[in-house]
Amino acid sequence: MTPVFDILKLLLTAHLWQATLTWAVLLLLPALGGVISERSGVVNIAMEGMMLIAAFFGVTADIFWHNVWLATGVAMLAGALLASVHAVVSIRFRADQIVSGIAINIFAAGLTVFLIGRFYGVQDVGHVSQAQLLPNVDFPLLDKIPFLGQVVFQQNVMVYVALVILVLTHVVLFRTRLGLRIRAVGEQPQAADTAGINVYLIRYGAVITSGLLCGIAGAFLAIGVSNTFTPNMTDGRGYIALAAMIFGKWTPFGAFIACLIFGLGQAIYDNNSIIHISPYFLSMLPYLLTLVVLAGLVGRATPPANDGVPYVPGSE
Amino acid sequence: MARPRTPRLPPAIRRLRGLGMPLGSVLLAFAIGGAILAVTGDNPLTAYGALVCGGFGIGCTFGENPALQISNTIVFFIPLVTTGVAVALPFRAGLFNIGAEGQLLAGSIACATIGIKLGSLPTPILLPLVLLGGMVAGALWAGVAGVLKATVGAHEVVTTIMMNYVAQWFLRYLIVGGPLELRPGTSKSFPIGHGAELATLLPASNSMIIFGLPASVYRVHAGLLIALVAAAVFAFLLWRTSLGYEIRAVGQSQKATRYAGVSVPRTVIVTMLIAGAFSGLAGAVQIAGVDHNLTDKYFSDTTGFDAIAVALLGLGSAVGIVLAALLFGALHSGGSVMQADAGISSNLVLVLQALILFSIAANFIGHIADVVPGLRKREAPPPNAPPAAGSLAEAAAPPAELA
Amino acid sequence: MGHSRLRLVGLVAVALMLVAACGGTSTGGGTATKQYKIGLVTDIGGLNDKSFNHLAYLGLQKAIQDFGVKGDVTESKSGDDYIPNLTNFASKGYDLVIGVGFLMQEAIGTVSGQFPNVHFAIIDGAGTDANGNDLQHANVASLLFREQDAGAMVGVIAGMLEKQGKAKKNQGVISAVGGVSIPPVNRYIAGYKWAAAMEDPGIKVLIGYSNDFTDPAKCKGVAQSQINQGADILFQVAGGCGLGVLQAAGQAGVYSVGVDADQKDADPSVIASALKKVDVATYTAIQDVVKGTFSGGVLTFSIANDGAGYALDNLTLPADIQAEVTKVQNEIKAGTLTPPADIPA
Repeated sequence: MTPVFDILKLLLTAHLWQATLTWAVLLLLPALGGVISERSGVVNIAMEGMMLIAAFFGVTADIFWHNVWLATGVAMLAGALLASVHAVVSIRFRADQIVSGIAINIFAAGLTVFLIGRFYGVQDVGHVSQAQLLPNVDFPLLDKIPFLGQVVFQQNVMVYVALVILVLTHVVLFRTRLGLRIRAVGEQPQAADTAGINVYLIRYGAVITSGLLCGIAGAFLAIGVSNTFTPNMTDGRGYIALAAMIFGKWTPFGAFIACLIFGLGQAIYDNNSIIHISPYFLSMLPYLLTLVVLAGLVGRATPPANDGVPYVPGSE
Repeated sequence: MARPRTPRLPPAIRRLRGLGMPLGSVLLAFAIGGAILAVTGDNPLTAYGALVCGGFGIGCTFGENPALQISNTIVFFIPLVTTGVAVALPFRAGLFNIGAEGQLLAGSIACATIGIKLGSLPTPILLPLVLLGGMVAGALWAGVAGVLKATVGAHEVVTTIMMNYVAQWFLRYLIVGGPLELRPGTSKSFPIGHGAELATLLPASNSMIIFGLPASVYRVHAGLLIALVAAAVFAFLLWRTSLGYEIRAVGQSQKATRYAGVSVPRTVIVTMLIAGAFSGLAGAVQIAGVDHNLTDKYFSDTTGFDAIAVALLGLGSAVGIVLAALLFGALHSGGSVMQADAGISSNLVLVLQALILFSIAANFIGHIADVVPGLRKREAPPPNAPPAAGSLAEAAAPPAELA
Repeated sequence: MGHSRLRLVGLVAVALMLVAACGGTSTGGGTATKQYKIGLVTDIGGLNDKSFNHLAYLGLQKAIQDFGVKGDVTESKSGDDYIPNLTNFASKGYDLVIGVGFLMQEAIGTVSGQFPNVHFAIIDGAGTDANGNDLQHANVASLLFREQDAGAMVGVIAGMLEKQGKAKKNQGVISAVGGVSIPPVNRYIAGYKWAAAMEDPGIKVLIGYSNDFTDPAKCKGVAQSQINQGADILFQVAGGCGLGVLQAAGQAGVYSVGVDADQKDADPSVIASALKKVDVATYTAIQDVVKGTFSGGVLTFSIANDGAGYALDNLTLPADIQAEVTKVQNEIKAGTLTPPADIPA
């Protein structure tokens, strides 16, 4: 089976893994957001919409103000704002969080294209010039390490940021009091409330944080990897991130491994000029894999106990 | 202290008040949408006027044919009813079926495949066969999620989303360079045999003129009757059968139902199977009644997702779903006319749909009613979403760890 | 409970029928000078697809400017919208209804049969029946393109640059990134590969697909893989996604080729663009209607009638390469050379 042999050969190249890491990070950021949000007990399937709106406003800000850092900030703000809508609707109004998440995704898809028409007319959205994109950074000495140097240390700045956030998320969630509180609120909000923890504040914070992370992801996608905005450019990554979060059993590093696997699939497919793989089966793969994981073939996947249940004081 | 007696209002008025929340939600959404339009420099009245024209054939000022608009709305309405039911039924059991789209796709694929491979069979045999095939395929598709939920507690939201994607890519595999493709490069399948076609309600003739246009432009087909029957079956199933009782019981409290001897896992699986069958039927009806072949358009079809809004807006009742489906069908038709006449991107319709969803989910109307004195209903508000939709903790037994 | 619900449904049905009966088409009043009404129905990519829909719209705009026609646009959100959108325009008595994209073939076939007095035009297809056979309705203009001509022109440029070692890496490898493996995409690539091989027989042409027309990141990934294999001239045939190809080429310091419209400004690495003059075709169809010279049937846009072509972008070609390009162009026009529609092995 020549494709298999070709794929094996490909797996030995640094380029492949370098691409894998980039694709993985695009999924990792929203997945981490999902982990944080759901650990605090708020189901969040709105990553797709938050990334999309962040991408749109990030590109627009970069085109108008020619400053990629400012634009990234705008993207994060857009993500956070949309997340706060989800937070308010879910926490304050106790809406069904899945419905709210779906509504956000539809809203973002419709609004972004609608705004393209209003902001740009039927012209091109235009593109951001090379100089105003999130820069690639090669670490001076470390990138000379054979193989690993290219894979890890010749990446876009956002990849490094994401990896730092990954470690931070893990440390905060599992080694700090804040993390303990977040998890308490997700597992036993009534007990946490009695212990004096502000359940609402923690949940709002967690959801908005997920919005910020999706904002970074949107910026990375639109003004880091690409240089423009096209309708629906997030292409379902928010949902794959959801799958990664579950695959990773709601832990940061677990999600990262899942993102690497999904990213690897994409990186392999990128080479379809030289390897003949059916695009359709490969596209199905992340989803089939998640189903396999959920079927308990890789252990049980259980979410935080009170995930998705709006907190009503005194309800338990 | 004596409690004040609430006056007994006649049932008709009480039912109208029950409409208050969904109706209010729709109006609120339109108000916010109007604000967005105004802020970006468009005229909300022209936009909504065109929307109403395209949706209901009322108030058309640019020469649209009202009968045509209504006909188009009904064609969009038909699958929304059946998929709306497919979402509403599991809701009652505390399950969230986001996979209606994938199940619909499975149904369309099955219908098309049978309709093509057995295309020479006559209508009395082929038509029921393709519809049945669609139902079976849809049921299987949903059944995967049902079984996973019942056995290992896998949240059906995620499993059904995954199955949606699998269905999409499978469709693509079949018709873009795949076994069902008509000819290389056409990205569509062979047409189904004539025996598998659902007749249109008006004769499909280019020469007969009805309401000023050739009769064939009115594409309303017999699937309309199937959809309405499906809604009736749903209501009957839910309220007049013991299975329906079990479904509702599971939705209210899984613990109590278990004590009463009802097998929760069995009910979950059966509910998903039936829901999938409804969705699959919707997909089969689309192929048999409208498209007569399988095309790549299903890759980006959104019927199953609109159905979620339809089920919610319709408050999970058969009549509600029919009315909500009518609204969404009208929005779909109206969006195109809004763009053609008023020059406003039909993406605004997506924004409106999202706002309606927010409104309902958050029960903004209820909260507004709380604040404005005198508006508060005396009766308990109807359930808008089952409380169990988020409590996946019930089916699984999670170890709560706080280390 | 069942009674009143049934009554409700009945009421709604009666109400709808009443409205339908009382309604009716309103005919426009007779005006002194005829203002032609043109309806454009786009495919699901929308007007911002950086490809055909956009170009068709540009053609419409120019016609509005030149002929004072009234032009309205509807974007199809899905394949379900093709027939309703086309029918809406036709039923309002528009003079010309234009559909963009071969996915609309069957819809055009159906609607054009219902409205024999309305002119129709379809980009990239014909009005067909369910089996894909051209119904050859007299009121349908089928606007087809020989993308392979345009692909061939840029293929000549690519081949010559490689052969003369005037590209960036000069390893004898060029490439193309297609959106999805469908005929309009593959025709471009076919011409490209054929012409490049003609000029540089040993050349290696990598062909990959992104499986996507909208996400630039996906095309960038495929492009980067090709660049890693030594490709230094990358031809994008993937609409909005393809912008990622141009970007990847720019970042890697190699050359790229744009598609459909002149993509000179999309990236400094773009040295040429293969042109598919959908705007010209749209404009021509409208012009025919306005001038009363509309006729049904197939209209093929190719190099011969300037419906397909190429543009030189951010690179000044050496004189001898330019001469070769012109020579091949004349030979294609004369018919002595014919680029293939299918990708050669």
